[in-house]
Amino acid sequence: MAKLKWFATVMLVFGLTTSAQAQYPAKPIEMIVAYSAGGVTDLTARIVASFMEKYIGGRTKIVVVNRPGAAGEIGFTALAEAKPDGYTIGFINTPTILSIPIERATKFTWKSYDLLGNLVDDPSGFSVHKDSQFRTLKELQAYAKANPGTVTVGTTGVGSDDHLAMLAFQRAAGVKMTHVPYAGGSMVRTAVLGRHIAVASINIGEAMQYVASGSPFVQLAQAGAMRSSVAPDVPTFKELGFDMESNAMRGVAAPKGLPPEVRKILEDAVTKTAADPEFQAKMAATFSPMRYLPPAEYAVALERAEQLLQKLWSEEPWSPK
Amino acid sequence: MDVLNNLVFGFGVALSPENLLFCFLGTFLGTLIGVLPGLGPTATVAMLLPITFYLPPVTSLIMLAGIFYGSQYGGSTTAILVKLPGESSSVMTCLDGYEMARQGRAGAALAIAALASLFAGIVTTLVIAVAGPPLADIAILFGPVDYVALLTVGLIGAVVLAGGSIVKAVAMVLLGLLLGCIGTDLSSGEKRYTFDLVVLYDGLGFVPLAMGMFGITEIIASLDETGGRGRAMASIARLWPTKEDFRRSWPAALRGTLLGGALGILPGSSATLSSFASYALEKRISDRPQDFGKGMVEGVAGPEASNNAAAQACFIPMLSLGVPPNAIMALMIGAMMIQGIQPGPLVISSQPALFWGMIASMFIGNVLLVLLNLPLIGLWVRLLRVPYTILFPIILVFCALGTYSLNNSVFEVGIMAAFGVIGYVFRLTGCEAAPLMLGFVVGPMLEENLRRSLVISQGNFMVFVQSPISATLFALSAALLLLMLVPSLKRKREVL
Repeated sequence: MAKLKWFATVMLVFGLTTSAQAQYPAKPIEMIVAYSAGGVTDLTARIVASFMEKYIGGRTKIVVVNRPGAAGEIGFTALAEAKPDGYTIGFINTPTILSIPIERATKFTWKSYDLLGNLVDDPSGFSVHKDSQFRTLKELQAYAKANPGTVTVGTTGVGSDDHLAMLAFQRAAGVKMTHVPYAGGSMVRTAVLGRHIAVASINIGEAMQYVASGSPFVQLAQAGAMRSSVAPDVPTFKELGFDMESNAMRGVAAPKGLPPEVRKILEDAVTKTAADPEFQAKMAATFSPMRYLPPAEYAVALERAEQLLQKLWSEEPWSPK
Repeated sequence: MDVLNNLVFGFGVALSPENLLFCFLGTFLGTLIGVLPGLGPTATVAMLLPITFYLPPVTSLIMLAGIFYGSQYGGSTTAILVKLPGESSSVMTCLDGYEMARQGRAGAALAIAALASLFAGIVTTLVIAVAGPPLADIAILFGPVDYVALLTVGLIGAVVLAGGSIVKAVAMVLLGLLLGCIGTDLSSGEKRYTFDLVVLYDGLGFVPLAMGMFGITEIIASLDETGGRGRAMASIARLWPTKEDFRRSWPAALRGTLLGGALGILPGSSATLSSFASYALEKRISDRPQDFGKGMVEGVAGPEASNNAAAQACFIPMLSLGVPPNAIMALMIGAMMIQGIQPGPLVISSQPALFWGMIASMFIGNVLLVLLNLPLIGLWVRLLRVPYTILFPIILVFCALGTYSLNNSVFEVGIMAAFGVIGYVFRLTGCEAAPLMLGFVVGPMLEENLRRSLVISQGNFMVFVQSPISATLFALSAALLLLMLVPSLKRKREVL
């Protein structure tokens, strides 16, 4: 009798483990965000998590875990070093996922991950106060050329996409401006509202949200390859004759080496999330310009962005080497 | 009376059964997380964000706001009972609140903290209703130059915080400034004192430092001084404040409210800073400055009013400009955006129900909080009867959990432990932690704004006297310095 009981227990445990393997996910999935709660990536992640839960199905629970610090390096490292079992996924952000490994030795590059799909592509852009003396990008260029170093440009810090956009504009327009770094996008915006700085280098999604809220903001240009869906009336730098591109992409990834069937489930969940009209509505409401890229195309985009950054780094490093 | 009509309309919104329920839920949850050290409102609001997808916008914002200001109430509880700041803005409450508890007056301290917060909450909310948007427009005129001047006043005030030697106080402020230098320099991207440790790239955190130097240090000292039994609290003679307590508290609460409200509107300030400022002010103008840190009720009433006023006032830039002054306001903006509402200058006219409903809910929430907190005082005070040998391991666990939950970082728990020991060494040498904490908070802000001012002015130092705000503030700090140095060199600080 005792033997039988023992046997039954073993079978039960065995049965549980096999079914756990067959039925992914058997426990909550962690979604690492390399930035603090309240930031744009955090907001996107919390929306994405609720939709991916729905599409993975069952009683799937996805918990957003903020691992902020070192411009994203702490979170990216944590994601790269997690066990590739599908229970840790996370957001990776350009340009930092590419630029930090260029700046210094890191425990990750974008190749340390199994890409699951890109969701957001937010172009950089230049905004000014509506009473600013600059009404067009050309006027800004002309003034900056005549008065080198006097135009103040607020960004979210050394090496941010905002900063890289400013550097790219300086090269494309042949001007020199003054870099004024801030600890966050809202501080840049406050500084422009109070007319403490002349130009805000902020992402177009963020800028359009300010305009929608009635703030006295005017967008001079956006830095995507084409006009973003959230700002169809704002010209691109390229259209205006400045050969430059700068953007912030936000996508979902997992540590490299996921079991193929788990990877399939996660990729599908991202694809279905991106195609969900309700999700798209939420992204539009939060002014997050969507650009879904399946893993293969996502890799191509990252590869290309990395090459551009490497070129920039060798010619004009954005931070102390 | 436009404002009156609007408020009546707002109360109509806020008093609907559903909104009232969520206001209660929010403030209750806020009190709870405020009491738990470390676990802050930001993490809570972030976790609850998905729930707000399914609630009407007004209801969800009423709840989220309740969590935020509720946590400011709760934060003082552990500060008073066990010298553990439940929120970073309640660090100052540790100083005199805990001493009051040791003298058997924990109930009085808790009640004064709650009532001062209520007063500040009501007054500031009224200010938001009457003059929120114009005030926000004034606040953004505050440029980097003016912040430099304001922070200089603060830094000079820091010296006032110390009880004993002025030399030691200055040394601690300087040490705080140095600790604040750790991390990535915002202006250049250069790494300072990081020893190539990625975990140090963003510098040390305020919470691990404060928890270590207040909470952990207190545990070590308490166990050490009593041979491991833990200090006994004086028995509680009386649960409620005396008439004398009220007489001394109300002017302090009034000053704290004004100071907290003014600082809270500025997008570059914080509730923590305003509680520091209020404490320094109370000590400065008191006729018994030597008794601060020994259980002065003004030292509880002022900072508690101030941090709550600042917590309410920071809704002003968020609601009327759409500028979030801190992470939690950013989350609230996120919650609004998901619902298709853009916080900014137009929100009052386009979403009157949201704006006035939320403001009315703040009145209701503040009253609910006091109704919730006053009966709890008896319970909290009873907690002090738990033998210290049982209590202190529990405190330790909460410290570790709370610190970890901030950034999910084990390293920060280590930092907290290390600063517990360092704080104990300071204590043995008669150095105080409060001036260090102020230096640590003010230093990075001062440096950032100083360098920003000079970058914008292209190295022209004259900007500091050209701005009227900054010129006035610099004159004030010069006067403060004189006022402080002359008499204190003569008397009181004979410990030199």
